Amino acid sequence: MLKFFIGRLVQMVILFVVFLSIVWLLLQLMPGDISDTLIGNPDIPMSVRLELKARLGLDQPLLQQYITYITNFFFRFDMGVSFSRFPKDVSAVLLEALPRTLVLFLSSTLFAFWLGFKTGKLIAWRRGGRSEQFLIVSGVFLQTVFYPWFAIVMLWLFGFVFGWFPIGRFITAELWLGAPFEANDIFGRLIWTVVIASVAYGIARIVIGRVAKDLVTRERLAMLLGLLVVAAVVGYWAVNPAAKFAWDIVHHTILPVITLGLVAFGAIMLLTRASMLETLGEDYILTARAKGLPDNVIRDRHAARNAMLPVATSLVLALSFVIGGGIVTETIFSWPGMGLLFLQAINVSDIPLAVGALAITGVLALVGHLVADVLYAVLDPRIRIA
Amino acid sequence: MTLSQLSLEARQVDPSLPLLEVDQLVMHYKIKAGSVSAVDNVTFTLHQGEAIGLVGESGCGKTSVALSLLRLLPQNAQHISGEIRLNGENLLWLSAEEMRQRRWKDIAMVFQGAMNSWNPVYRVGDQIREALDTHYRGVMTYAEQRAHMEKLFAAVGLPADMLDRYPHEFSGGMRQRAVIAMALSCGPQLIIADEPTTALDVIVQDQILKELKRIQADLGMSIVYISHDIAVIAEVTDSLGVMYAGNLVEYGPTADVFARPRHPYAYLLLRSTPSITGPRRKLAPLQGEPPDLLNPPTGCRFHPRCPFATERCAVENPPLEDIGGGHKVACWHWDQVPELEGLQR
Repeated sequence: MLKFFIGRLVQMVILFVVFLSIVWLLLQLMPGDISDTLIGNPDIPMSVRLELKARLGLDQPLLQQYITYITNFFFRFDMGVSFSRFPKDVSAVLLEALPRTLVLFLSSTLFAFWLGFKTGKLIAWRRGGRSEQFLIVSGVFLQTVFYPWFAIVMLWLFGFVFGWFPIGRFITAELWLGAPFEANDIFGRLIWTVVIASVAYGIARIVIGRVAKDLVTRERLAMLLGLLVVAAVVGYWAVNPAAKFAWDIVHHTILPVITLGLVAFGAIMLLTRASMLETLGEDYILTARAKGLPDNVIRDRHAARNAMLPVATSLVLALSFVIGGGIVTETIFSWPGMGLLFLQAINVSDIPLAVGALAITGVLALVGHLVADVLYAVLDPRIRIA
Repeated sequence: MTLSQLSLEARQVDPSLPLLEVDQLVMHYKIKAGSVSAVDNVTFTLHQGEAIGLVGESGCGKTSVALSLLRLLPQNAQHISGEIRLNGENLLWLSAEEMRQRRWKDIAMVFQGAMNSWNPVYRVGDQIREALDTHYRGVMTYAEQRAHMEKLFAAVGLPADMLDRYPHEFSGGMRQRAVIAMALSCGPQLIIADEPTTALDVIVQDQILKELKRIQADLGMSIVYISHDIAVIAEVTDSLGVMYAGNLVEYGPTADVFARPRHPYAYLLLRSTPSITGPRRKLAPLQGEPPDLLNPPTGCRFHPRCPFATERCAVENPPLEDIGGGHKVACWHWDQVPELEGLQR
């Protein structure tokens, strides 16, 4: 087990160096640099632009620039200074945007998985009928829809026509004017409560698994525990003085999460249904029925548990969607996350910031795949690492 | 039913009492093209402590009969008429919930291809425990369940620590043993063994069959074997039924059916197998193919392939009639079927 992890870690580091080099080189291939964005300004003479180039080190040979960047990155853990947000460090800019993107994608993915898996499971179990046809058509629609159009329609419908949700952005500026809190602080605290609650829930589930041997009691206890954790989080924030501000952030988060989640939901539901139908034909389902198990046990514990394996695979592959989907979603919802940041950086040739954003995405993808490998092993004993 | 039923001790058996009576069972599969007459007028009785076998080629309806007994047929299956009585109670009249409670507790099943009858993601012990939890909720403590399962594993010759393993860590033979252990877990009176040894090599096959036979005798259980392999069935059954195209065409004590098959199909089937111990003889393969059950032949379903067929066979379906000593045949011309030569049993 330890050997596996060390091996994987070495692999990941090598892969990351290669990835970073390619990304860095690709961005250098863009015509022009940041000094050229000032070319249209008659007040800035040529000499000033050359001076700027020299100060930023852009006049050095490419190889020299590459070596400087890589050594700084790996030996000083320094991603450089953002050109467009001078003199802010790239890492500081990224650190501000990263949690927002992570929250957006993690919550929409979890929402999509939860709902998609549940409905996919049910329509496969009760085949035929109107609801199945309706859900299949909706699923195909959501899976194939042109996403930017869909996002704009959602924004128009729920933000403008119904007015249930704010139209874009991360916070309501008027509300936060003179507020005793910093938006990023509140956001950070929101994240921490959820993370702590999840970790506590996870640990408690492991303890339950050890203590309660009976499958039925185990599931009941787990459900009770889940309700308790949710109640604790909601309760904590309800009595908090920052409740109003926290709600403002959450309110802004809901629509982008649902929009992004719905698109993933279609794909996950259809995949779950197909996988579930295949599983239902397996011999062990007949065994389970012959054993006289109640229908819901056969469905949930035997069929759905096995149907989950390919769905988990697809979730990991969807990780690559994060930056691409992020740019579109964050632009449409004016969500100040990594995608929007990357787009802005590219537009002004802010190379350190763009490379930094992609580096973070690369790290996320690598970590995601590692998590996926571990997840497979947990889900399927046949591929458990010896 | 109480815990004592689960103690793995011999049950009181009265061989004169019928345990399972299948009475004129007719079952169709509804498909787009029409209805497939998969089981037609099948009648047999299984007494307490008895083992019977149903043989026939693929698609003859033997598995459909087996699944009917547990009411596990696919949704498009329709029972047209007939009864299946277990201890006098018609299983076809039970509600779905009542039937669910009977499954495994009264009738358990050993499936074909033990390879896939285990759910790959759960430990074998947990899957057996699941059956106990379903049918004996609150009756046994966790430790009692464990002890019971260890006894079951010992009975089928598996070490107790295998309970904590996953199905893929078992060999084919071990998996089949574990399946038998699971079938025994809730103390059923009847076990249906559908091709119990199909995927196994002959050595393991022999071990498993001996194991089943010993357990059956030890526990006073009844078994219905389903197989296309006559040799398997011959070894372990008291009575033997031969099925053809959804009909039970011959039924009787295994030794009788083997020594003097009276139905032309059974006769030709046995003629087409070589005998290892007997004198050399010419094999006579069975000509033709089984009929399309969407449009079964009129009269006797075997008549298009039967060398003894007359005009009557094409019109009238022969009933299953006793020809003496419990040996029953559904053929108008059973007395014309010659004696088997050189087949030693």
